[in-house]
Amino acid sequence: MQNKLPLYLILSLLLLALLAVVSLYMGVYIFEKHSFTEIFSGLINNDGSISDSDRFVLMDLRLPRIVMAILIGSALSVSGTCLQGMFRNPLATPDLLGITAGASLFAAVTIVLGVYIKPYIPEVFHFSLLSFMAFIGALLTMLLVYRMSTTNGKTNVVVMLLTGVAVTALGFAVMGLLIYISKEEQLRDLTFWNLGSVSGASWTKNGILAVVITVCYFVLLPKGKALNAMMLGEKDAEHLGIPVERIKKQIVILTALMIGTCVAFAGTISFVGLIVPYILRLIFRSNYHIILPLSAVFGSILLLTADTISRTMAPPSEIPIGILTAFMGAPIFIIILIRSRKTM
Amino acid sequence: MLEAQNISYAHRKFSILENIDVTVNNGELLVIVGPNGAGKSTLLSMLANELTNKEDLIFFKKKTFHDWDCKELAHSKAKFSQNNSHDIPLTVNDVAMMGRYPYFNSVPQKQDEEAVIKALEETDMASMRQRDYNSLSGGEKQRVHLARVLAQLDNNVAQKLVFLDEPLNNLDVLHQHRILQTIKNFTQKGNTAVMVLHDLNLAAQFADRVMLLKKGKIVAHDVPGTVFTKEIISRVYNFPCTICTNPVNQNPLIIFGT
Repeated sequence: MQNKLPLYLILSLLLLALLAVVSLYMGVYIFEKHSFTEIFSGLINNDGSISDSDRFVLMDLRLPRIVMAILIGSALSVSGTCLQGMFRNPLATPDLLGITAGASLFAAVTIVLGVYIKPYIPEVFHFSLLSFMAFIGALLTMLLVYRMSTTNGKTNVVVMLLTGVAVTALGFAVMGLLIYISKEEQLRDLTFWNLGSVSGASWTKNGILAVVITVCYFVLLPKGKALNAMMLGEKDAEHLGIPVERIKKQIVILTALMIGTCVAFAGTISFVGLIVPYILRLIFRSNYHIILPLSAVFGSILLLTADTISRTMAPPSEIPIGILTAFMGAPIFIIILIRSRKTM
Repeated sequence: MLEAQNISYAHRKFSILENIDVTVNNGELLVIVGPNGAGKSTLLSMLANELTNKEDLIFFKKKTFHDWDCKELAHSKAKFSQNNSHDIPLTVNDVAMMGRYPYFNSVPQKQDEEAVIKALEETDMASMRQRDYNSLSGGEKQRVHLARVLAQLDNNVAQKLVFLDEPLNNLDVLHQHRILQTIKNFTQKGNTAVMVLHDLNLAAQFADRVMLLKKGKIVAHDVPGTVFTKEIISRVYNFPCTICTNPVNQNPLIIFGT
């Protein structure tokens, strides 16, 4: 089964590409030219065959948004898979552990209080300040949850989930306070955070996301074997020559980085990290060697589909994407709870 | 082969091991026995480099574990643990294949597949290769992990070392003897095994040397015939016993409760 991984990867990447093209044509605005190749050759040759409005919708609205959905879906789903490997539990996801809440808490504080710091820092850092703070929030929450719930390499699932609940509650409280004291324009930003959306996509954000994700995947994606071995227990994984402590540190820092960046750019989109690994596990069992790279692609597929539905279901308004993912995620959460009820 | 001097271990002021000296020679099968709470598993963990204690120096092939490269170490040392995870959602073959993780990068090679099949045959699990690990009974799971450990040490490295913490729990008589015979064959090729057992008669039958522990101290460490005497065993286990010669293989035979 392991040798078939390249085949599965190619097939799922083709599916993703197909979805991206379909998604490009979905929406209120209809392109004048209907052939995919005609539009792109027109864009590349720049011979005036593409109207300005076509160009604007394509290059500044739809394409960045599609790319962002692909990047964020992938990053959230890989973060979820890695955390589940580290905590050895299918419920360990960025949102249930409160890591998303921690990141958005720090991001929200930065949005509201950032007005007072922003004049003192150069403008290029404004975007990165937000993602940096979100990263710090994610990292601190992750360390808190891990320290609270794991002793001697054994995770107490109840403590793990309850710590997540506590951090999320704190996040809500602070968010309420911030909404109360914030000005109107900040309020709009804050609402965007809570609902989660990729409508704020831009090429700058996509660039930062792509760099972060490339660095993280370079380290994390080859860790499938190590995560498999960690199912034996950390001591036994070490006997197999796996540097468990180093891998755990890498997972903590890099998933925090990915979640922080995603939250900074798209707010809290919940349950992606729960749905994708769950579905993959149904087919491939818990073989991380297969599900870790596949979760990178299927996360993209899920979020791209969800985003396309969210912007086309009730035009011209949008259904917040978080609502769609929650509709899928909540039942899966309950199914996992029922299955693991005996062992908790 | 394996040398450790003056090992001590304490957990929250409760001393578990005190000043233990161990030397295990090449090709030796050392069995550690003793009543509950004697520190057998702790000693095995320390010798296997699971509990890192800076002051205690343990030398494996004249090098401390710290000086070994962790991949290279995995080629010549393995451990079978007592508390194996009961929930691993993979097939039997996948779990046994983990023993080959130190040998391949991404996709298992032909010799890895062969080593796994050979190890599963050794533990009589080859017919269940494609079964779900989670659907097995306790004894079968145990045998999968034994196969994993055997597969890990299936290579050309000379003088390997295996640690086994109560490998016979949950196993039926046939498999108890088969596993011990496999380990015995392994040591007869110049490799070394250190094992914790509860069954004194099996220890007497298979061990080259026996270490008897009580309350974190060595009571006796010698060949089975010297360790298994009536007064030592009845004193350490605090239970009357009789020792005679096993009529089949001439080893000491311990009968409790007489």
